[in-house]
Amino acid sequence: MQLKKLPIQNISFLNQNYFELSFRDEKITELVKPGQFFQIKNPSKKFPLLPRPFSISKVEKDTFSFLIKKIGKVTRSLSELVQGEIVQLLGPLGNGFTLVDNKNSLLVSGGIGYAPMPFLEKELHGKGNHITSFHGGRTGNDIFCREVMNCTEDGSVGLSGFVTEHVEKYLQDNPVDVVYSCGPEPMLKVLVELCIKNSVQVQISMERIMACGVGACCGCVVSVEENNEVVYKKVCKDGPVFDGAKVVWDE
Amino acid sequence: MNKCEIQFGKMKWKNPLTVASGTFGLEYAELFDLSLLGALTTKTITPKPKKGNKPQRIVETEVGLLNSIGLQNPGLEEFIKTDLQKYQEFDTNLIVSISASTIDEFIKMIERLDIQTGIDAYEINVSCPNVENEGIAFGTNEEIVFELTRKITSVTEKTVIIKLTPNVTSIENIALAAQKGGADGLALINTLYGMAIDVDARKLKLRNGIGGYSGPGIKPIALQNVYRVAQVVAIPILAMGGISNVQDALEFVIAGATAVAVGTQNFVNPFTSIEVIRGLEVYCHQHSVDFNELIGSIT
Repeated sequence: MQLKKLPIQNISFLNQNYFELSFRDEKITELVKPGQFFQIKNPSKKFPLLPRPFSISKVEKDTFSFLIKKIGKVTRSLSELVQGEIVQLLGPLGNGFTLVDNKNSLLVSGGIGYAPMPFLEKELHGKGNHITSFHGGRTGNDIFCREVMNCTEDGSVGLSGFVTEHVEKYLQDNPVDVVYSCGPEPMLKVLVELCIKNSVQVQISMERIMACGVGACCGCVVSVEENNEVVYKKVCKDGPVFDGAKVVWDE
Repeated sequence: MNKCEIQFGKMKWKNPLTVASGTFGLEYAELFDLSLLGALTTKTITPKPKKGNKPQRIVETEVGLLNSIGLQNPGLEEFIKTDLQKYQEFDTNLIVSISASTIDEFIKMIERLDIQTGIDAYEINVSCPNVENEGIAFGTNEEIVFELTRKITSVTEKTVIIKLTPNVTSIENIALAAQKGGADGLALINTLYGMAIDVDARKLKLRNGIGGYSGPGIKPIALQNVYRVAQVVAIPILAMGGISNVQDALEFVIAGATAVAVGTQNFVNPFTSIEVIRGLEVYCHQHSVDFNELIGSIT
């Protein structure tokens, strides 16, 4: 990992809720793996204090980007930055997805869980995978890309209903070796159950409130089964990607 | 450039900076040479592995951070096998922070650690607010602090630092009890009790409800604690509590601290401690003052 202060190369808005921040750094684009993240902070604002974790969305040559949803103070303040302003980035952090070769890979995302998917898709494609992507959102505002199987809860764009309903049908009718996923926890939970039922390996990227982001503070733990024991694993360092079948969901 | 060497108990530090226990780890060696610090302080180790508290463990508040980690750590033996070996690679003082639930357990830990190489000091964590029957349960009682310190200092030659909680009526009395027990130094403050509520769900934001509060919001409180303790003890103070930059560090030193630790701010900028070291050197140079003359130098 490295701590960098980089000028924003580009900031662009997909719609009123989502925007993309891009930076240029050759060393970083050589290092990063899909599913890894950076702790990002606007250094001109003392508060909120902590940086926030964002996964890498796209990597093209020496440029890397983050897809961000405006939710709270930090994301709003980041959305108000302009090209050339300096942002503090710590990373790359976390384990990232484990990439397979020449397999049938299924990508499933929900809402802002779409963030790591473009980079993941690109790298899996380079490893000869056959890739199908499903993405779910509440409304058309949560849809990012026309080339994936989009599902909306209000039926305004693409297939109607929860993304997991359509993934369930897809898994029954198509050969899938590995499922890669990121999204809200209720979606991940249903998806993991589907994958277990269909005996498909599933890698899920988890999210937790973090402090250090590097494994020092033990603030962001999730319960994971290991050697028949339930242990706390750090989302920032042991994750954010976990074997979905091993995650023990909080009550 | 003025160097800011200090003596802390039986240790000589190349500069007065360390990191607060639990806010720093070997992970940061990827960013800079940890030997640059005056001392390294480990996350608190307990006799047996500790799972820690149920999540949610972290909540950010307006001007600080609440945590309820609960001393998650791999236990003494695993620490000796893995992290201690790695810490020994750095050319600086190593302070091992420890907690246990009986005086006897503390003594056994010290005896086990004393036969290892590379340890310079023990920080006795009698102030963690997030564990039951240990931590703060010890540090709020003068007699226990005296008894524990006396027994620990009678079995080790190494520097013994007692880490104090601000969650007491008179921190001076606890500090004096530690001094009377033979402590070589004091570390203060540990986190304050704090909590936060989600008003929509009407739920406590931390799973445990109450946690430890740290960060810039506690600095004035930490400062007055350090000042008060410095008035009554003769042993050195390692100060911490909301230190974010060199100005903060200087306030603590002028209030009476011999050394300072960066805690929560490590999460914001891991280079803070290094920046504070440089800042102190610049300050001493510009004011033509030896660092040691600054300690407790309120005029």
